[in-house]
Amino acid sequence: MLEKLMQTRLFKWLDERSGAEAIIKSQLTEYPVPKNLNYMWNFGSLALLVLTIQILTGIFLAMFYKPSAALTYGGYTVAFDSVERIMRDVNFGWLIRYMHAVGASSFFVVVYLHIARGLYYGSYKGPRELLWIIGVVILLIMQGAAFFGYLLPWGQMSFWGATVITNLFGALPVVGEFLQQLLRGGFSVGDPTLNRFFSLHYLFPLLLAAIVGGHIHALHVVHSNNPEGIDIDKKDTIPFHPYYTVKDAFGVGVFLTIYCYIVFFNPQMGGYFIEVDNYTPANNLQTPPHIAPVWYLTPWYTILRSFESKLLGVLAMGASLAILFFLPWLDRSKVRSSRYRPVYRQMVILFFICVIVLGYCGHSAPTPTLKLVGQIATGYYFLFFFALLVLPKFEKTKPLPDRV
Amino acid sequence: MKLKSILFAGLMATSLVAVGPAQASEGHGVELKHAKVDTTDREQLRRGLTVFTEVCMGCHSAKYVTYKNLMDYPELALSREEVDELRGDKPLTAGLITDLSPEDAEVSYGKVPPDLSVMANARRGGADYIYSILTGFEHDPEGKIPDGNYNLYFPGNRIAMPDPLSWLDHDEADTEMLEQQAQDVAAFLAFIADPHQNERRALGFWVVGFLIVLTIVLYLLKKAVWADVKH
Repeated sequence: MLEKLMQTRLFKWLDERSGAEAIIKSQLTEYPVPKNLNYMWNFGSLALLVLTIQILTGIFLAMFYKPSAALTYGGYTVAFDSVERIMRDVNFGWLIRYMHAVGASSFFVVVYLHIARGLYYGSYKGPRELLWIIGVVILLIMQGAAFFGYLLPWGQMSFWGATVITNLFGALPVVGEFLQQLLRGGFSVGDPTLNRFFSLHYLFPLLLAAIVGGHIHALHVVHSNNPEGIDIDKKDTIPFHPYYTVKDAFGVGVFLTIYCYIVFFNPQMGGYFIEVDNYTPANNLQTPPHIAPVWYLTPWYTILRSFESKLLGVLAMGASLAILFFLPWLDRSKVRSSRYRPVYRQMVILFFICVIVLGYCGHSAPTPTLKLVGQIATGYYFLFFFALLVLPKFEKTKPLPDRV
Repeated sequence: MKLKSILFAGLMATSLVAVGPAQASEGHGVELKHAKVDTTDREQLRRGLTVFTEVCMGCHSAKYVTYKNLMDYPELALSREEVDELRGDKPLTAGLITDLSPEDAEVSYGKVPPDLSVMANARRGGADYIYSILTGFEHDPEGKIPDGNYNLYFPGNRIAMPDPLSWLDHDEADTEMLEQQAQDVAAFLAFIADPHQNERRALGFWVVGFLIVLTIVLYLLKKAVWADVKH
């Protein structure tokens, strides 16, 4: 179909003025991809799909949403009212908003699996260090965008979540107080905070779109890793189109089926995607009994809470994300894939479990037992990265195959 | 290997969500009663509306629901005459707002009764919670909290809302009727918390059905395209 399209006069006209044919060949029809990728390699294209869904639904939500904390009848605000108006009176507003809310959580499910794949098969290692670093930047911006977005409905969790997180910046020495006030636009979270968070919530996805372009460009320079983690012989590659376009399309089908099932039948996901307390309007005089961020931020929230000192907690949380930038150099092993690294394989699987445990602890109301569990998991989180420095000295890797 | 990686992905995804149920029942240790609620049952929703306007609206509002909505939502579909009777001289576009002023409420009950538009979403358990609260008024076993302010299902047991259905010490013969009233109004509140929910589920059936077929077709296409790739 693509070949036929490329024969048309219109395409020829376009090609002479844009070099479209060369781009299509180098990026799609002649772009080499290892033939042995498994379904874990589907999550990159899915992340791009969810980003697109988020931007499109977000544009429409912004047409109806009003970022104002001015009070209205019954202790509600203009912002909360506008969200309810979207849910009730805007044609298919309920669909657009649920798509956006479920999309936010789906984005993190997909991206966390994408990162887990990178960790398991050593995709962060040379020559893909820059690709990995751009990916970590994307993760940080995503977390920021999600956090800003969660403030917008101005419910109890919006308000108190934002209060807790902006408070963290206050713990930093010297610049802390200034940063905190800059973020809030005042001494406490209020109307100015809502306005600047809305502005940033619109800005961050645009940054994401640009940086995702860089991520894909970087990928297309160094090409995909593969489950064996070895450099690929040219004979073992197949063109991206049609092989991986159709495989990604199948992945999109599976994803959309699950995504739409949640959107249409369980959009709040039992309080995981839209927290129950966020249906209560923000009240700065009443702290909810248990403040927890949405699930995708809870692992880092646990790391924060694992320290008695607030400053140490903040620094540890920052370090837990910052350490990802250095992973390509912390891991000294020459072998990429876990398939040939028996010890690393156990370690990385334990790391995944540890992140899930951290997430569970951060979501639950704190108890002494959970706190201890959280601290142990936090300990392993950091131990994992530093153990990689010395691991090659002890680990006997299995012999690598020449070809896949 | 492929199967393994799918399993791995599935395991990761489910473990992210599976921590759910353990949390859902978390609260203050009392298990909620199960409410028989059907948000597509027009009779139940209309009975619930009656309980709402005659009992709840004495103090509570549902400001996001207008009188016009009561005509427009197909689940309720009140006639113009019925709505006119309900609203009196209030405009058709007005929300269901109580005549009790917040100031008077503060004096009488110590706090302003919350709006009920999204209450079913704002409490764990939703309709079950509302049903349980309405039929949860009891005598305080420790005798500390006065009658009418002790509720078995309310966090901390001390509730500012005085027993609206007169559940406490009711006649044995009325149990069934009161239970029914509590479930009906729970159904109504569950409906107005998300008034497009039935439309959503009906549409979702076709959307998900289509996607399943599409995914099967895409899988077969993938298999066909990949037929010449040797592993």
